Amino acid sequence: MSAELITNLVLITVKIGVVLTLVALAVPLMILMERKIIGFMQARIGPKRVGPSGVLQTIADGLKLLLKEDIIPDKADKTVFRLAPLIILIPAFVAFAVIPFSGTSVTILGQEITPWITDVNIGLLFVISISSVGVFGIVLGGWASNSKYPLLGGLRSAAQMVSYEVPLGLALVGGLMWAGTASMVGIVEAQRQAGLWFFVPQVAGVLIYFIAGVAETNRAPFDLPEAETELVSGFHTEYSGMRFGLFFIAEYANMIVVSAVATTLYFGGWLRPFPSVEALAFLDIFNFILPGAWGPFLSGIFWFTVKVSAFIFIYYWIRATFPRYRYDQLMAVGWKWLLPLSLANILVTGVLLLWLQPAPA
Amino acid sequence: MIDFFKNLTLWELWQGMAVVIRNQFRKKVTVHYPRERIELRPRFRGVPRLRYHPESGEELCISCLMCEQICPDDCIAIEWEKPPGSKGRILKSFIIDYQRCCLCGLCVDPCPTKPLTAIYMSHDFELAGYDRQDLVTGRKELHEGRPVTVYTR
Amino acid sequence: MFRTEQMEINMGPQHPSTHGVLRIKLRLDGERVVDSWPVIGYLHRGIEKLAESREYIKITPYTDRTDYVNAMSGNLAYLGAVEKLCGIQVPEKAHYIRVIMVELNRIASHLLWLGTHALDLGAMSIFLYGFREREMILDLFEAYCGARLTYNAFRISGVPADLPPGWAEECRGFLRLFRERHREYEQILTKNRIWLRRTKGVGVMDAEQCLALSVTGPVLRAAGVARDLRKDESYAIYDRLDFEVPLAQAGDTYARYEVRMAEMLQSARMVEQCLDQMPAEGDLMSMKGRKMRPKKDEEVYFAIEGPRGEQGVYLISDGTDRPYRCKLRNSSFANLQALAPMIQGELVADVVAVIGTLDIVLGDSDR
Repeated sequence: MSAELITNLVLITVKIGVVLTLVALAVPLMILMERKIIGFMQARIGPKRVGPSGVLQTIADGLKLLLKEDIIPDKADKTVFRLAPLIILIPAFVAFAVIPFSGTSVTILGQEITPWITDVNIGLLFVISISSVGVFGIVLGGWASNSKYPLLGGLRSAAQMVSYEVPLGLALVGGLMWAGTASMVGIVEAQRQAGLWFFVPQVAGVLIYFIAGVAETNRAPFDLPEAETELVSGFHTEYSGMRFGLFFIAEYANMIVVSAVATTLYFGGWLRPFPSVEALAFLDIFNFILPGAWGPFLSGIFWFTVKVSAFIFIYYWIRATFPRYRYDQLMAVGWKWLLPLSLANILVTGVLLLWLQPAPA
Repeated sequence: MIDFFKNLTLWELWQGMAVVIRNQFRKKVTVHYPRERIELRPRFRGVPRLRYHPESGEELCISCLMCEQICPDDCIAIEWEKPPGSKGRILKSFIIDYQRCCLCGLCVDPCPTKPLTAIYMSHDFELAGYDRQDLVTGRKELHEGRPVTVYTR
Repeated sequence: MFRTEQMEINMGPQHPSTHGVLRIKLRLDGERVVDSWPVIGYLHRGIEKLAESREYIKITPYTDRTDYVNAMSGNLAYLGAVEKLCGIQVPEKAHYIRVIMVELNRIASHLLWLGTHALDLGAMSIFLYGFREREMILDLFEAYCGARLTYNAFRISGVPADLPPGWAEECRGFLRLFRERHREYEQILTKNRIWLRRTKGVGVMDAEQCLALSVTGPVLRAAGVARDLRKDESYAIYDRLDFEVPLAQAGDTYARYEVRMAEMLQSARMVEQCLDQMPAEGDLMSMKGRKMRPKKDEEVYFAIEGPRGEQGVYLISDGTDRPYRCKLRNSSFANLQALAPMIQGELVADVVAVIGTLDIVLGDSDR
């Protein structure tokens, strides 16, 4: 065991710890902001009594969930019942391993710290494949509950998630063709070199990806598996206490992953708007406040957070506005509309790229 | 043709979203009860209560028993006595059972006293208590109002 | 090789989307409804029996509480029956005030329908926008009679009080605002592709089926039958008002949605006309302080067009001041019969849409 290996292992473990803590802190904040933002859109205020302006509401909810009695139905498959929340939670967190939060590395104690946990050259593929594993958690949770409503919800959700994986992946291919590499860091670098964010030539791709992403995370208007008014909570009806809390956290973590991938691939990751226009360099505000590499590091994180938050706001906005799709219509939209459109998108992008950059002689 | 493009670009969905975001910036309708109170209209029908003559301060109720007869839920119980020598009646006890009162306001209609009706619908609506017997209200509380607990937080 | 079973599910009395305590037993084959049995009676309070032992004047608060969402119509139906029984004439100004209140209540009831129907199908915000407007109507009612849900606002032979000063201006201001907001609701829902898919072709009832099951109200008008008691058997002063009765032909959920949305605008029009036409001075009650004398063994049936359909009261008198029998014919009980044929063969998700579109209030159905 060489000293370098040990340092690397320690570094990665620390980075994983930091990222997981940040995500675990971001999720309660997201839950609170959802309630408040949707409340504002509905002419009411969200939670306001717990903590100043309701900030501690999610912590109060989390404490309540921890203190609840853990009810496991008698005829449920107990091992699978206990495993199901973990099966959906772990892939949601693992996907954060390849997401880049900023552009420049900083040096602490002589070690270069990159603002991403790792950068594999199949980063995008990794994220998609890991999030597919999450489907198991839902199906097994619904099945193991041994009850009718969760069964219906689990099966519906499985079919929905599997069928929307296809347009999700295909929509990303359009962006990949522009970027030329599947490494997440490489994609953002390609956007910086091209001088434009890839959503400009890929408007259809972004839309398809986002709609498929909303369907993947079981959010409105595709949230039939957990539709309160129809199935009384769907696949997590029988879960109580913190097990239900884990499903909830997994859903919000998945939302962050989908938003982060959309940001990286289509909206320039950590880059400021118009990255190649020098006149707008002041937008990277931290560059002028902090010395050395810390300035760009924090600027990158700042812009990344702003963009991911904008996507999450759009998630909430969509949830407040639209009715729910019925289950068979949901599948119809996925297979009959999004799939052909994403294939058409790839075709058009290919032709466009060929026309713009003819093959070398 | 235009319909096809509107369909493809999800045109009506953006319109719906625009309405929702416009509502985000409108005034919120939440009233922070119990810190803020809603202003009640003058004719608001809370629980029925009794009152005194505005000038002389005497009891207005003449024990005609009209409100007891018209109440659909039989929640008023009046006891009166004849004073020796004079005509008329003197009120002995007046009990309204707020558990049964449905706040319909029929008791105020036949009340004959002038210049104000003896029984009136007050603006009290906070009736919660810990004991059922708390809600059976006697003459004194009907005049002065039930004690209300004010919470500071 | 494969064996399929049919699943029996209970959409129980406590369910987020049955409007009130309605229980439906469904037998499902996968997701399709094969058979259904609605079970009602969870909100039965014995109002008709209570009415047999109370004087006519005292029954009015009970009629508020049958269909609690539009209590003014309940009051009007009952009092209209009593006035028909005893041959009492109601003064003109009282008629105008009654019609204003009933039509405002129709708007409030339809707003509640819209909010809960959209909420069941997932569009949460319309629920709160609808209730924000409904609160304004309830404020108007509070200013007039003092209560916000169980009004007891009319008395036999008229109304007890005139409109308070400033009420007419507040009402007109509300109607102006309401028309703008109505346009907003239409913008969110009417052409929305998700809404169209959820409601077009769902829960179809054609005119023959409706008439066979004695379904009335917007459900019937959405099937193409032009039957509205305000026009056909006019009561109060509806014959002096100029309004249209919205009709649709398709008979599905979307048609009912269109009919009710149009009805809200027509009601707003009627209220404005009433405010314009109402005489400034006039008697409010024609029988204050006199005894009612119903004849013995007289039967009368009086029906009005409520927001949900035909709402009627059938009174039999025995010569005393208490009715011998007071039967309330309400639209929710009759419309509920249409539930079973409508959801036959549909998916479970459509059951929720159909219950919402029938606009059932369980207090109305169970009395």
